[in-house]
Amino acid sequence: MMRRNWRGAGRSVVCLALLWLGACADLPGRPDEADRPIRPNDVKSVDVLYGQNCAGCHGAEGRLGAARPLADPLYWAIVNDAEVQGVVARGVAGTAMPAFALSEGGTLSDAQIAILSDGLRTRWSGPDSAAPGLPTWAIQPGQNGKRGRVDQGAQVFASRCAVCHGGKGEGGIAPGSLVDASYLSLVSDQALRSAVLFGRTDLGMPDFRGGSGEKPLSPDEIADLVAWMASHRVAYPGRPYNESDAAGVGEDGP
Amino acid sequence: MDRKEENPEPVEQAAAPGRLARIGAWFDLRLRISDQIWPELAHHVPRSSASFWYVFGSATLLCFMVQLVTGMCLGLVYSPSAAESWASLEYLNYQQPLGWFMRSLHYWGSNFMVALMTIHVVQVFLFGAYKYPRELTWVVGCFLFLLTLAMAFTGQVMRFDQDAYWGLGIGASIAGRFPFVGGIVVDLMLGGPIIGAPTLSRFFTLHVFLVPALLLLLIAVHLWLVLKVGINEWPMPGRLVTRERYLEEYHQLVAEDGEPFVPNGVQKDLVFSGLVMVALVSCAAVLGPAGPNGPPDPTLIDTVPRPDFWFLSLFAVFALLPAYLETPLILIAPPILFLLAALLPFYSGTGEKSWKVRPGAWILVVTVFVCLGTLTWLGIRSPWSPDMAAWSGTPTPVAMVRGRTPLELQGALIVQSKQCRTCHSLGGEGGERGPALDDVATRLTQDQLIHQVLQGGGNMPAYGKNLSPAQVKALVAFLGTMHPPGQLPARDASRVASSAAPVAGVSGGR
Ligand code: HEC
Ligand code: HEC
Ligand code: HEC
Repeated sequence: MMRRNWRGAGRSVVCLALLWLGACADLPGRPDEADRPIRPNDVKSVDVLYGQNCAGCHGAEGRLGAARPLADPLYWAIVNDAEVQGVVARGVAGTAMPAFALSEGGTLSDAQIAILSDGLRTRWSGPDSAAPGLPTWAIQPGQNGKRGRVDQGAQVFASRCAVCHGGKGEGGIAPGSLVDASYLSLVSDQALRSAVLFGRTDLGMPDFRGGSGEKPLSPDEIADLVAWMASHRVAYPGRPYNESDAAGVGEDGP
Repeated sequence: MDRKEENPEPVEQAAAPGRLARIGAWFDLRLRISDQIWPELAHHVPRSSASFWYVFGSATLLCFMVQLVTGMCLGLVYSPSAAESWASLEYLNYQQPLGWFMRSLHYWGSNFMVALMTIHVVQVFLFGAYKYPRELTWVVGCFLFLLTLAMAFTGQVMRFDQDAYWGLGIGASIAGRFPFVGGIVVDLMLGGPIIGAPTLSRFFTLHVFLVPALLLLLIAVHLWLVLKVGINEWPMPGRLVTRERYLEEYHQLVAEDGEPFVPNGVQKDLVFSGLVMVALVSCAAVLGPAGPNGPPDPTLIDTVPRPDFWFLSLFAVFALLPAYLETPLILIAPPILFLLAALLPFYSGTGEKSWKVRPGAWILVVTVFVCLGTLTWLGIRSPWSPDMAAWSGTPTPVAMVRGRTPLELQGALIVQSKQCRTCHSLGGEGGERGPALDDVATRLTQDQLIHQVLQGGGNMPAYGKNLSPAQVKALVAFLGTMHPPGQLPARDASRVASSAAPVAGVSGGR
């Protein structure tokens, strides 16, 4: 009697085991094709591409990074795909923005750069995108064929920017100097223009449309402001303090 | 077992066992197996050795069987060529029904085998089972230990993914250290001076032919010795082993208080083996196979290849050893240690067996495991591994962006773009080769910061030639802000005394 029961139990254990093996499709250990490793140049997810390549400087969510925020509807309303892809592919010489195209020694294929710019646009565009009559992103010659005018720029700055940045850009509510020669040598004119156009809304600086009650800056005023700030560039920035150090260094490498 | 006596209902089952038994008898009459083997299996062993402490050897053997079976299954699909191996593993993982499960069983079987074998060795060591007359069993066991590790090592190379590169690279760098013949050995091992297509065939041959053949042979010897010399009795403090009297005492013990090895002696082994099997299958089903991770492509420099668990300690040793110690420690120490271990019964072959009265044995075991554990833990964390992706993928902490001046923000960007975070963490993220920079301003003055960045030193590269003066200024301005809110940054006393103009680059406001 006992023995028969045992044998029955044995059989059901075997059956259960088989059933369980048959249902292997759902076992947690089964590798998921989605986790399959892919070559870096086959990555197509915008989240992954942005997270691995851009978040370090432009911020985890496209804001509050050390570099300009990209999570900004106004930004995507003004900039076009060729402009974004150009910056990402070739970088900005003399600044921290690296070139990402494979042809420039970077790590992203042209297709990936296109995926990025499309994807970021989709993700961060907003109602602003439709607004007509926005200034251009790229620096363009002023209306009389001239670039911005420095003295005009100084005036605009005094009226529109001094509240936060001090009368001469030396710093105020917004900490630090905008006309520091070292700072200026590390950013492009385009970056200055972008600062005026889009502000740093994540850090409390308004975009070119100004604060409440102000009228938007005109294209000429924008160009003038950039010209004024850029006029503070010097030939050999960063020298005065650490000349002696900078002289004989680098000899005893690692 | 003793089924015949117990079976209460022979009616239903009579025919089948009868026929089977007759067939068995037919063969046995000719092969003469039962009168050879049965006495062997039924020989008496000390009752005290039928303990759950004595089950790890048989469990290791079980794992080996699992490895043989699953390994053969995998061999049906696996293609040992550099070009195809990766694809064949992917095929096993995603296409072949239950292919992933075979891989998983094989992977976990290997882990279980090494783990159980280690416990087995420790048990044998602590119970003094290696002493007279079981010296040879111990020596053979030592070689089994080595061979099993060799299987684990060559097995991870079979994945031929990026982690496999670690194994190959390490293997080659060990081999390359042999004086005079290093180059030849590397050539033999890799099939050329570098890791290439022939490399995998070499390791495949080792993994499926050479090492398993040796293992089988030595396992046979090991088991033969276990049967012939008899299982170690439970050690009692005060019962000393002497060459003159041990055999006599053992036989007396077995005669007075023994039981047949089969079926009584192996009962606990069977129970434990069953448990191991359940654990193994569960691990395989729940945790799944390992890898293959990224394809082995030397151009994918962003990844840090890591060995499987058992070799993480070795990984740590290689990473942490100063270069001048590598050759002596890697070439000379392991053979000496192995000899010391293998020859153990020849210098400590008699006397006390019980771990209770051998504190030295305990201390040794604990020391070895603390060392291995620490090294493994270091290997898991591998703080020496640079974080190659941090520069573009790990954001500057928001708290270090808010309230910074434009120049300081440029400094933060240089920390990113010059890849300082490969070695330095901010806000807990980034490499750990250098100190975290979160409060560096409390440690270093502006001048010291500039000096460190330009001159490098202490394993940090010098950036003097790679940074423009403006970049240095921005960098130092940013690093100068790295102090807790309430705490002042370090100051150069002479500078404060002479009350020179505020240090360049550090603007007011905070
Ligand atoms: C090492 C830091 C760094 C990384 C990584 C980085 N950027 Fe930048 N990026 C910058 C800086 C600095 C600028 C401003 C350059 C200048 O002065 O014009 C910039 C500018 C840009 C601009 C132009 C902004 C403008 O002024 O209109 C775009 C677009 C951009 N980055 C996109 C990206 C994308 C997309 C990625 C990832 C593929 C990326 N960046 C990765 C630092 C970085
Ligand atoms: C409401 C206050 C406010 C006003 C008005 C303002 N800014 Fe700013 N600005 C800021 C803040 C805050 C920052 C971020 C400062 C920082 O942390 O670096 C900033 C940053 C900048 C930067 C540096 C961006 C960078 O990090 O590279 C520039 C350039 C700049 N402002 C120019 C201007 C100009 C030109 C105007 C006038 C059109 C202006 N600002 C008006 C608050 C202001
Ligand atoms: C290859 C790894 C590596 C890189 C890349 C690296 N460092 Fe270092 N850094 C180190 C190590 C290691 C130390 C510790 C040196 C010592 O012990 O003397 C260190 C020390 C420092 C210190 C002194 C920290 C202290 O608390 O004493 C500073 C500041 C520093 N690094 C800044 C930088 C900056 C800025 C960069 C990028 C321009 C950088 N490091 C890049 C490895 C690195």
